[in-house]
Amino acid sequence: MKAVDAPVHQSETSTTSQTTQPWSVVIQDDPVNLMEYVSRVIMRVFGYSREKANELMMLVHQKGKAIVWRGNREEGEMYVSQLHRAQLQARLEKSR
Amino acid sequence: MTLGPTVGGGLKLIPEEVQDWLVLLEIAADAHQDLASSFAKLMDEDAIWDEIVVPELETEFGAQKKHVLQVVRKARRSNQEEIIIDVQDADLWYGALNQARLSLENQYRFGAMNLSSANDIEEREARSAYLRNDFYLTLQSLILRYIKVN
Repeated sequence: MKAVDAPVHQSETSTTSQTTQPWSVVIQDDPVNLMEYVSRVIMRVFGYSREKANELMMLVHQKGKAIVWRGNREEGEMYVSQLHRAQLQARLEKSR
Repeated sequence: MTLGPTVGGGLKLIPEEVQDWLVLLEIAADAHQDLASSFAKLMDEDAIWDEIVVPELETEFGAQKKHVLQVVRKARRSNQEEIIIDVQDADLWYGALNQARLSLENQYRFGAMNLSSANDIEEREARSAYLRNDFYLTLQSLILRYIKVN
């Protein structure tokens, strides 16, 4: 992820809701998407505050990936499709 | 090429040389990677994804490239002195530029090269791609700064 000019890189972090939710939406780092853009996409897709979106974006940037949402599969797929539409590397994972 | 904000909340591009027009025309050509399918690979064996989401993404990504190409071609043909990116089409421009940068990154892996300048790249084609990538990044940053892109 580029910091309005710097790219994103790897590891796992859980930040949202409880671990009992079965599916996780994970955003992976990439060397192209701008940090400011990633924050804006997270805010728009999940309705998070600027502060929370920035925090998640920084996790993606520093750790390489971050869980940005947990919940049921259908809703998770909808979120991942919106993230793909925004050209972010996102996937759905079964929560451990 | 001169780039700057407009009072109407958009961004103005003023191509000054032939090369400026060529780099603008290259955006769509550089965005050659099948991104929709590459994103689908992140979703393990999800049939619905391939049947529903991938075609939607292909349509959307294709529309972004087509829009930018049409705007640039039309401007060049009609000898326009400037191209305006306004709020209505900022998402299309941003998306096309992003596709171009994702494709170039996939092809050249500039992110892993730790380059300080284009002069660090010996091969002419790669150096040219690096410079285009850098221009696209600048344009994206300005779009984000001066025009709201969600």
